[in-house]
Amino acid sequence: MAQDSVGLPSDFQFWMRKLSVWDLASTLETQQDTCRHLPRFQEFLRQLYEALKEMDSNAIIERFPTVGQLLAKTCRNPLILAYDESQKILIWCLCCLIKKDPQNSGESKFNSWTRGLLSHILSTFRFDIKEVDLFTQVLGYAPTDYYPGLLKNMVLSLVSELRENHLNGFNTQRRMAPERVRSLSRVCVPLVTLPDFEPLVEALLTYHGHEPQEVLWPEFCDAVNEAFLLKKISLPTSAILCLWLRHLPSLENTMLHLFEKLISSERNFLRRIECFMKDSSLPAAACHPAIFRVVDEMFRYALLETDGALEVLAAIQVFTRCFVEALEKEDKQRCQENQRGKESFQQTALKQVDIQLKFAFKTYFPYASPSLVMVLLQHPKDIPQGLWHQALKHISEMLKEVVEDQTHGSYGGPFESWFLFVHFGGWADMVAEQLMTSEAEAEAPEALLWLLAFSCSPGAGHQQRAQTMVEVKAVLSCLMKLLRSPTLSARDLQAAAGEGGEGAPRPPACQQLIRRLLLNFLLWAPGGHAIAQEVITLMAQTDAIMHEIIGFLDQTLYRWDHLCVEAPRSRKLARELLAELRGQA
Amino acid sequence: MEQLLQHLERFSEVLAVSRTTHVSTWDPATVRRALQWARYLRHVHKRFGRHACISKALERRLQNQWKQQGDSGPAPAPGLANFQALGHCDQLLSLRLLANTALGDASFHYLLQQLFPGPGVPDAEEEWLQGSLARLARRRAAIHMLRFNAYGENPVLQEDSLMKTQAELLLRRLQEVGEAEAGGPGRLLSSLWERSPQNNFLKVVATALLLPPSSPRHQEEELELGSPKTTGEEGQKLLRWLLGKSDVMVAFCRSLPAGLLTSVAGRHPELSRVYLGLLTDWGRQLHYNLQKGLWIGTESQDVPWEELLSRFQSLCQAPPPLKDEVFTALKSCKAQDGDFEVPGLSIWTDLLLSLGSSA
Repeated sequence: MAQDSVGLPSDFQFWMRKLSVWDLASTLETQQDTCRHLPRFQEFLRQLYEALKEMDSNAIIERFPTVGQLLAKTCRNPLILAYDESQKILIWCLCCLIKKDPQNSGESKFNSWTRGLLSHILSTFRFDIKEVDLFTQVLGYAPTDYYPGLLKNMVLSLVSELRENHLNGFNTQRRMAPERVRSLSRVCVPLVTLPDFEPLVEALLTYHGHEPQEVLWPEFCDAVNEAFLLKKISLPTSAILCLWLRHLPSLENTMLHLFEKLISSERNFLRRIECFMKDSSLPAAACHPAIFRVVDEMFRYALLETDGALEVLAAIQVFTRCFVEALEKEDKQRCQENQRGKESFQQTALKQVDIQLKFAFKTYFPYASPSLVMVLLQHPKDIPQGLWHQALKHISEMLKEVVEDQTHGSYGGPFESWFLFVHFGGWADMVAEQLMTSEAEAEAPEALLWLLAFSCSPGAGHQQRAQTMVEVKAVLSCLMKLLRSPTLSARDLQAAAGEGGEGAPRPPACQQLIRRLLLNFLLWAPGGHAIAQEVITLMAQTDAIMHEIIGFLDQTLYRWDHLCVEAPRSRKLARELLAELRGQA
Repeated sequence: MEQLLQHLERFSEVLAVSRTTHVSTWDPATVRRALQWARYLRHVHKRFGRHACISKALERRLQNQWKQQGDSGPAPAPGLANFQALGHCDQLLSLRLLANTALGDASFHYLLQQLFPGPGVPDAEEEWLQGSLARLARRRAAIHMLRFNAYGENPVLQEDSLMKTQAELLLRRLQEVGEAEAGGPGRLLSSLWERSPQNNFLKVVATALLLPPSSPRHQEEELELGSPKTTGEEGQKLLRWLLGKSDVMVAFCRSLPAGLLTSVAGRHPELSRVYLGLLTDWGRQLHYNLQKGLWIGTESQDVPWEELLSRFQSLCQAPPPLKDEVFTALKSCKAQDGDFEVPGLSIWTDLLLSLGSSA
């Protein structure tokens, strides 16, 4: 508290100067400047209040002799009063100035002056139209009675003007001039979080004029996006889609917000990430290819920058799942509406932004072969469990063909193929599991091994990959033998994994792979639960590995939920382990 | 129940007094009691709002109070206007006290402490009041912003927000007064005609007659007099009054713009008949001046030819059946005059000729 008030006097001077400039004239520049400073000014008011409430009125006058002036200028500034909680904090500040018992005429005057300010903020706003005031007076209503209703009518009137403009493009009489739309968007900046303004915000976002440049003020788009992220405004997906298409920084900010969540509170909580993802409207908006490409690009970038961090991979998988769901839902809706022959306004708006139909996947995945995309898009749920093995082999063959065959250079190289593959967590995470659980063959199938090796290090050359496959095969065969063993010990597992063995240490990606196999083993082997704790303790030598294991368990449970995998014993073990580890971490 | 009704009456008095200089005698304890009563009554409203019999009883008691205020027309609602006002009576009281300069400094200080306790308030009630007052201030600023930066008077008068709001208020008041006694609305309207600016009043009446019939709405918690709970009955009462007052009707048809009148006539056939009647009367007042080649009137208050024509033009652009009615009336007048085709003999012929080119 003490250090806040130290900075206060200089801040005070700064804001006093600013307010004076803004007070002098309400020009475009002053409006813009005010809007940019609104959040900081609110913060200053809060600090000022905290200081004022601790002091009595004499101390206030001593410390801040011009506080009355500052607050009066603030009262006169409707942009500030319209923003968020500024008006409330301002009222609190004014309350601090009121004296309970003024001692002399000077104090008395100051009191009534302050009371006047309070009254000014809270009560009548004269519309400057005498007849209206007279009429309502005779009717018996005070202005405070009717101006919520007046506000509603004004908003509705503006909304219908904006929509009219949009639908009757050639009706020049009702056309709202682009400059007016722009100034309207400016005026709305402090007011986006006022519920009465939601229809107007939506109408502005979906407004399409005929001008080549963007009419909406960029700070307006920022303000709407912020409010949407903080859940202070609720908008339909069509409006958010328009926002992101018109103002790329908003989309980028939303993605950054998502990434923040990924590395902080929601780390390794896929269910919550999914909730957040759906709430943010990203998957629904991504049905528009332009949005999808931007989002995908940011994911790709994040992945590269973090060297393939598992959290980012998981987020990509969640996103893709939600995206496919949204796409299917939209398709169904469109079929239904076409059948009914109706077109809602929303549909018209969506059509305007040119949504592609389901079969044009090239727009979403331009670097991938369409047949591969089709196979990957299949939901494992739609295929009988016994045939998952087959599907994976097929995927493996197709990927191998693309990656290892030189003539298919147009498909972007191994990284692009890998990036495409890891989108679809349903398949990507299934490989290790399938290797562990499939009883069909005595020997692990080459195709799946290749897929596994590829997914853990796409950039590896042919030689390295072959080496990895050999090692994995060896580990697998050990593990398969142990699978049926009635008595298991952690040491057995260690031996199978080839730990502490001779020869060069494995590359980290390979180690990760082996860990994954071991974890799968623990979940599926009948004797797994007995030694699970011990093994994990041995494995989790660093914090990073601990997080990796937690992530793996979380992802596995998440995947099983979505695929409706029936494995009660494995589930129980996974849940218990996860709870235990989360408690420790 | 009787006790509750008494509380209601007494609070209504308190509310009335809160606007007067009498509050100079109020000490902080009085302010506290008043606020407590307001809070209590708001709870009553919340609890019994859906119980029709209780709310009706309360409403009746309030209206009785109104009647006793005297026959000078609609009292400027010093006390509680209706049952619905109970829903925000604490806000109402607070605003009146805040604006009242007669309230002593000590009492005012106490009032502020109660209304604006500051951040992190544990009491949900106080937080609600604080929040709702802040929201009021915010909305006020919002209107200011819209008014001075984005508001354009809508050329289509019935869609202008100010007009619509006034019309909504009028209908609301008509409903309140109508529930108290049968003759109430008529008296209210006559009084408004006499006491408020006439041109504005007529526009408001026209807008009110054009408001879409609203569906019964759920009760709003906030201090909002938006779309009222009127069911279209008030519109009927308004129309009946208008049709019954010939002087108002004449002013209505003369001073309002042609387009607006056409819309109103289109919606209300009884009015269209009277309007047509007036137009034909006015038409008959004009005679043809051979020298100037124009139809002119003799008296200063006669409606000039141009205005008559423009009104008929507007009517002829209306959708049927109005359009057909107008043409029928004009043709029958023309027939009565002798069914001339040559201009200058019958005003109806000339009108039809002028309209014919644009029909």
